[in-house]
Amino acid sequence: MSQFLVKEGVKNQIRKGEKLVTTHCCYCGMQCGMHIRVNEKTNKVVGVEPRYDWVLTRGKMCPKGVTAYQTVDHPDRIKRPLIKKNGKFVESSWEEALDLIERKFKDLQSNYGKDSLSVYGGVSMTNEKCYLVGKYARVGLGTRYLDYNGRYCMSSAAGGFNKTLGMDRGSTLPWTELEHTDCFFMAGSNTAECHPTSIQWFWRAKDKGAKIIVADPRETATARVADVHLDLLPGTDSALANGIMHLLIKHDYVDNEYVQERCNNFAELKEMTAKFTPEYTSKITGITVEKIVKAAHIFGKSPRSVVMFARGAEQQTAGVDNVSLYTSMALLRGQIGKFASGVATFTGQGNGQGGREHGQKSDLLPGYRKLTDPKAVEYISGVWGINPEDMPKPGVSAYEMFDLMLNKTIRGLHVICSNPVVSSPNINHVYKAMETLDFLVVSDFFLSETAELADVVLPATTWAEDEGTTTNIEGRVIHIRKVVEPLGESKPDWQIMSMIAERMGKGKHFQYNEPREIFDELRLASKGGKADYFGVTYEKIDEQDGVFWPAPAEDHPGSPSVFKEKFATEDGRANLAVCDWKGPAEVKSKDYPLWLTTGRVVFHYLSGNQTRRVGFLMEQCPEPFVEMHPELASQYQVENGENVKLVTARGDMIVPVKITKAIRKDVLFVPYHWGKQQAVNQLTSPALDPTSRMPEFKVCAVKLEKLTK
Amino acid sequence: MNKIMYLEFERCIGCRACQAACRECGDHDAKERNYVEYVDFTESRQTFPMLCMQCKDPACARVCPANAIQITDEGVVLSAMEEKCIGCRNCTFGCPFGIPKFDFEKNKMYKCDMCYDRTRDDIAPMCASVCPSDAIRFIDFDEMQQLRRRRTQMNLVEGKKPQEGNKWDYVPEFFGVYTDSQS
Repeated sequence: MSQFLVKEGVKNQIRKGEKLVTTHCCYCGMQCGMHIRVNEKTNKVVGVEPRYDWVLTRGKMCPKGVTAYQTVDHPDRIKRPLIKKNGKFVESSWEEALDLIERKFKDLQSNYGKDSLSVYGGVSMTNEKCYLVGKYARVGLGTRYLDYNGRYCMSSAAGGFNKTLGMDRGSTLPWTELEHTDCFFMAGSNTAECHPTSIQWFWRAKDKGAKIIVADPRETATARVADVHLDLLPGTDSALANGIMHLLIKHDYVDNEYVQERCNNFAELKEMTAKFTPEYTSKITGITVEKIVKAAHIFGKSPRSVVMFARGAEQQTAGVDNVSLYTSMALLRGQIGKFASGVATFTGQGNGQGGREHGQKSDLLPGYRKLTDPKAVEYISGVWGINPEDMPKPGVSAYEMFDLMLNKTIRGLHVICSNPVVSSPNINHVYKAMETLDFLVVSDFFLSETAELADVVLPATTWAEDEGTTTNIEGRVIHIRKVVEPLGESKPDWQIMSMIAERMGKGKHFQYNEPREIFDELRLASKGGKADYFGVTYEKIDEQDGVFWPAPAEDHPGSPSVFKEKFATEDGRANLAVCDWKGPAEVKSKDYPLWLTTGRVVFHYLSGNQTRRVGFLMEQCPEPFVEMHPELASQYQVENGENVKLVTARGDMIVPVKITKAIRKDVLFVPYHWGKQQAVNQLTSPALDPTSRMPEFKVCAVKLEKLTK
Repeated sequence: MNKIMYLEFERCIGCRACQAACRECGDHDAKERNYVEYVDFTESRQTFPMLCMQCKDPACARVCPANAIQITDEGVVLSAMEEKCIGCRNCTFGCPFGIPKFDFEKNKMYKCDMCYDRTRDDIAPMCASVCPSDAIRFIDFDEMQQLRRRRTQMNLVEGKKPQEGNKWDYVPEFFGVYTDSQS
């Protein structure tokens, strides 16, 4: 059992017969600090207590965080392995389940080759587990087909940052500095709902006079109080960013010294942005000229600004372009690498940052090493104790894996910590692909929509039943403590992967007694890489409220701010983005005359597999809805609460209407946390960004049909 | 208890963490006692939290025929005492803010007690502890006075006045615990 501590001088209510275990929330990238209340007699989780001393969130939590503990002892938990027999799940022993997996996996690999198996990971788990997923696929199963749900979440941000700054750390500054920022430019982020505890920093800055500019088709809680709300059309971010940069150059807001000294491509950028006059930009984006001009002046005049973006800008076929262009806005103003200024993406998943750094991606190895780099392959092979020739080649991205299932290249799949039949775009296609599989194993602690399709379901533990580290929205590595022992026969994912690897004859590479040993291996594996964790230890995390990577040496305190002197590109200079506006893959037409965009609500997390089982959250938001402007509702003669049918080229759904003026008149919005008939991802577009292979969840053309009574 | 509950409605982001947290308080029987409402969702996403005002001379206690609603030395108006409450619901009608709720199963009223088991030890109530936007705060009297003065002061700073169609106007003035003139 891990150490329990409550800081000195901080008053917390500790009830009789209970103890508090200090940890973090399991949900989004904010990774809010919290104490979990444990009954000392029964050793059961009984509640939550705010962690006032956690530096980033100061005791604050959103409703998901407050109720997170309720998933630990939940009646829906899977307590024993399940094997599907005659279409029904039957409880079995671990022995029987592992026997079956071993037999099937070995059969498939001997008949169809090593690459007939595949692994689909997730990043809502610790660094230790995420790291091990990569090793499990490549060493344990020896397959090249490995990818993870972060492909839908962070890959465009990663692509854009790597292109412009040479390194992908979600935030170039620690967020505790945000209260000193003078201007926030937020694009495609409903941060009040998706990262509620970040709001304290924005409001605190606003109290001091900071300006907020929000680009979003909806008037979100942040857009409502923004100094300028740029109500752009979905899929037009690159035009907006180019338009703002056009004005920055025109009105001499460019930090010439900084750009000259630290950036490439300024002349090319100037040339590209020349045509993006406010009028031209306005025509593409649908934002009025006055607002664009006002935003550019506010942003240009602010001495310290942070450009921030999230899935709204990233989940597009131009996601990488959008990220690069928004990042370039910060570069033109000379902001990156300075106090209280810089650029940041809002990490959606709990460990979206750490989970994408250590080799769960089809083409990456731990420490952000490239699988195509022979030196990286040699180094990691050394750490893993394998022959470099045995290292599998790069595979394909998450959504492309389903195509390979359909054409029978992939015949077996192990899904770990993800629910792709809800969270993928165009899920009718994904369902078909999953049903084509010869053998599907799912590790989860609730029976998700994906797990329902499985041949074997392995009971994993919740976040409170295992120790480890995650890397939060800022790039700060933090400590998740084990609160209670695993429920029933459930096991942490690292044990499950090690057991299967053992069965596949690779047990000697997976000899771990506790997560700390995996972390020590990860530290070594990441050493010398871009995401260098070598200097991060559990002790250091506890001592100094987390450690920011890179921390390249054992005595290195970590790097709260990055790019202070130079960028991580080869020549140390940032590459300004020179990208034209391309437009989304699907545009509205006569048949599909409206825009559809998707997103989250504050009460649910990702595919909703956890939050849809929590009483309070379901009371607040039991079902999806379609948000539309009253003017649009009037044209289609639909009323608030009335069910309507939404149809795209890929599927349809019936969903109740929610009328509000806080959305563009030509855009519909549906949250994506539900599965099957309630899933908006039946409708979404699977068009991929050419670089990041991220699907265009945020833009598609849709038809609205009034149902006959 | 020397602390003040301080509400700033326009900071509210409608996440309802305060309601989820209210259920977590030890004496709250997993039922929330506070409210978060949209001012008018058709117009805007503006929401506001509503808590018991802990009135000095509370209407709920005054109209209680059974003297079931007690007021602590610190001035906290507690839920009806289980052994005294006769379930007449007078309090739910009497309160000008519509705060007390009624449990039809147990046939008794329940309301915000400012997490008395926390606040009597100067630990912030659950709602104020978790509120991500500081719309609900539990602060010292001096800090409260300072915040009020700053509201007026900030109106003098260019750009702090409500703009973009005066969206802040959606917060009804009569809810304002603060006094400033936003013209």
